[in-house]
Amino acid sequence: MNLKERFALFLAVMGPGIVTAFADNDAGGIATYAAAGAKYGYSLIFTMLISTILLAIAQEISARTGAVTGRGLSDLIREHYGVKWTFFAMSVLLIANLGTTVSEFSGIATSFEIFGISKYISVPAMAALIWWLVIKTDYGKIEKILLLLCLTFFSYVISGIMVKPPWSEVLVHSITPSFSGTPAFLLMAIGVIGTTITPWGQFYVQSSVVDKGITAQDYRYTRWDVLIGTFFTGFIAFFIIVSTAATLFANKIPIETAKDVALALKPLAGQYASLLFGFGLLGASMLAAFVLPLSTAYAVCEAFGFEHGISKSNKEAPVFFGLYTVLIVLGAAIVLWPNLSLYHVMLTTQVVNGVLLPPILIFMVLIASKKSIMGEYANTKLFNTISWTFTFVLISLTLLLLVCTLFPEFSGSIFGFLGLS
Amino acid sequence: MNDLKVLGEFYFSQLSNKPIWDALGRRIGRLYDMAIRWDSVSPQVTGIRYAKEIPALIPIEWVVAWESDGLRLSAAFDPLLTCPLHEDETFIGKWLLDKQIIDLEGSRLVRVNDISLSWVSHDDHQFLVLVAVDIGARGLFRRLGVEFLLSRIENKFVGSQYIKPLESRTSSLQLTREKEQLRQLHPADIADIIEEMDYKQRANFLDALDSQQAIDALTEMELDTQVEMINQMDEDRASDILEEMPADEAADILGELSSAKSEELLRLMESDDAEDVRELMQYEEDTAGSLMTTEYVGLPFWLTAEQAIAELRRLAPEAETIYYLYVVDDQEILEGVLSLRELIIAPPETPLKALMHTKIVKLSPYDDHDKVTDIIHKYGLLAAPVVNDRDQVLGIITVDDVLELLMPDRPRVESHTTLIARRRQAKGGHSE
Repeated sequence: MNLKERFALFLAVMGPGIVTAFADNDAGGIATYAAAGAKYGYSLIFTMLISTILLAIAQEISARTGAVTGRGLSDLIREHYGVKWTFFAMSVLLIANLGTTVSEFSGIATSFEIFGISKYISVPAMAALIWWLVIKTDYGKIEKILLLLCLTFFSYVISGIMVKPPWSEVLVHSITPSFSGTPAFLLMAIGVIGTTITPWGQFYVQSSVVDKGITAQDYRYTRWDVLIGTFFTGFIAFFIIVSTAATLFANKIPIETAKDVALALKPLAGQYASLLFGFGLLGASMLAAFVLPLSTAYAVCEAFGFEHGISKSNKEAPVFFGLYTVLIVLGAAIVLWPNLSLYHVMLTTQVVNGVLLPPILIFMVLIASKKSIMGEYANTKLFNTISWTFTFVLISLTLLLLVCTLFPEFSGSIFGFLGLS
Repeated sequence: MNDLKVLGEFYFSQLSNKPIWDALGRRIGRLYDMAIRWDSVSPQVTGIRYAKEIPALIPIEWVVAWESDGLRLSAAFDPLLTCPLHEDETFIGKWLLDKQIIDLEGSRLVRVNDISLSWVSHDDHQFLVLVAVDIGARGLFRRLGVEFLLSRIENKFVGSQYIKPLESRTSSLQLTREKEQLRQLHPADIADIIEEMDYKQRANFLDALDSQQAIDALTEMELDTQVEMINQMDEDRASDILEEMPADEAADILGELSSAKSEELLRLMESDDAEDVRELMQYEEDTAGSLMTTEYVGLPFWLTAEQAIAELRRLAPEAETIYYLYVVDDQEILEGVLSLRELIIAPPETPLKALMHTKIVKLSPYDDHDKVTDIIHKYGLLAAPVVNDRDQVLGIITVDDVLELLMPDRPRVESHTTLIARRRQAKGGHSE
């Protein structure tokens, strides 16, 4: 095959990895990265590096499993681990995804508030619009428009360069782990990882690989798709942290609402900063709000053998449509709760995602390393060691967080013991 | 004595993990899985696997009682007396539970939530028979240990005679029976089922169908799925299937493939078929040419009605429709058209020239889809001929093709067989 043909083949299988990557930088993602930069300056950039590598590993595993087996993750968990484990995994997914849906609607609400529209109007309207569009129209076209909106986040890259951050300091922080023993710092670290690698993202990338009809033979091209997507997730997140650290952290401006994050775009867009931010946030939130409830309903119905598919009627697939509707309605309703800090909702759900990720990760690695399922594409020993190490790191972080939150008085001694404080 | 007595009914989920006690009251293990043999109509349990690490089986004949606190064996247990798994046996827990199967009665893909077994005695022999699989929500809740929540909902069973597991086993006897059962499915139903499968299952499943059925089913699928399947098949098989498909469908599929791939497939096809397909592929997507098929019935104008009927017998199997017959001269120039009815009721000696209508509604291959739809609708036609500027017939467009245009986002094909099957609840629940 010559280079041109290879490139054509790559273009044909491209998509799942890149779309997931952009949907990963959703409302919650932006909020978390910005908070990390504003509160802790450059010190959390190292976490970003870890989470990007972890994301690459996780996405690669999911995409490979999808291409080799031709099946979704929930399907595989059901067939190989039985009903009880599936129930557990699906409960985890439902909680995490409901949380994430809430954070997407918070993102939608915030972006409309930037344009001066109350959340009591925008959220119900957008919820209804999303519900209707997904069921009645061709989602593929909408997806392209939303992806275009997401491109506005590249403005953080430009902004990040324009503020002229101390690059040598940034570089040092990117490769040296720094650890502060406070639960708040830990929370932020888990949040950053939790927003980058999400349970739903893993399910989603696998099922879109399957939907695209990608097989084991085409897989090497999909691997590039996934790696390129991951790179952009990390790249944009890196610059959000840098630009917020250089503007907000340096000037000691605390972030109270997501709108404050727009301040980091001032160097680039001046007075239009919040407008630019608003559009980007809207695109990212809508993209994820479209994908999330739908993919959740698919995953759950696939696992339990309920009829599913948008082309079915409500009567044929009641569970599918019920679940889909409930997720959207509940997600929107929680956001409308009076006196709720949308910004804190976004942050909290990322931590919830981070805490719920390990069980899903364990299933993924277990399945991907089984020769009976994956054949010659099973994880190699080295790869398995790496993925288990990362899973273990994440689990320990989560446990540490739990301990620190539940027994704050212990945390000091634990960190003292570990020599970290 | 020839009567069948039901001694007990169980679900696999209730038996699974139950302790096993031998005649001396020793606990030997727990019920890990059950082996079945499925060569007669009802599959029978032949042995019990009593530990995860040990592949050997306790023969089912040893079990004298199935009680709530466990299984009791008739003799003292000795590992030397266990037997290995036979070639024609499979484990139900591993092979059937939680897997997808085809429900032949409802013609759809379903997932096995639980398995219903009956303990029956017949002529002093006792058997444990697999009666049905449970595919309903209640079975799911039973597995989770909360069946009481759904105790008012009825179980949804598929009788074992209507099950076609996707993973095939080795018994050749079983395979013939399965092929027989599959033959009764409508191609449109098969198409629906295949669309829900993953690509490995698809490959296996296509092998289980006879070739005509595979082609019919493929023809019924949505274009996306057709393209995916042809892409995933090996090229020899793909070209064989494309040859046998209606040329217009084949052209649509090849048009979606990369040019290198479609060229390769066309090269592998027989030259006649490939030629037809190539001709159709040259038309733009939104034209009448892309819609038409070349498989029409063209009859020379000098035939008599009787000769025409004989000729029709020869041509009919290949043609897409035979209700309209096109009368042509030796240059393939369209002279007239007549319906099957007119041909049949005409006196045998009448020449076609006297029977045919000469005022013909024609389409050009470059007409757009709207025009095609308009014309077929306006004149109430079942098909319309497509001719070039010299009036030579290139092909026909049937009302089916137009219907597909009008309903591009048609929901998955719901054929009448499915609807009928769905109305009847799956029978064959236990104690039948």
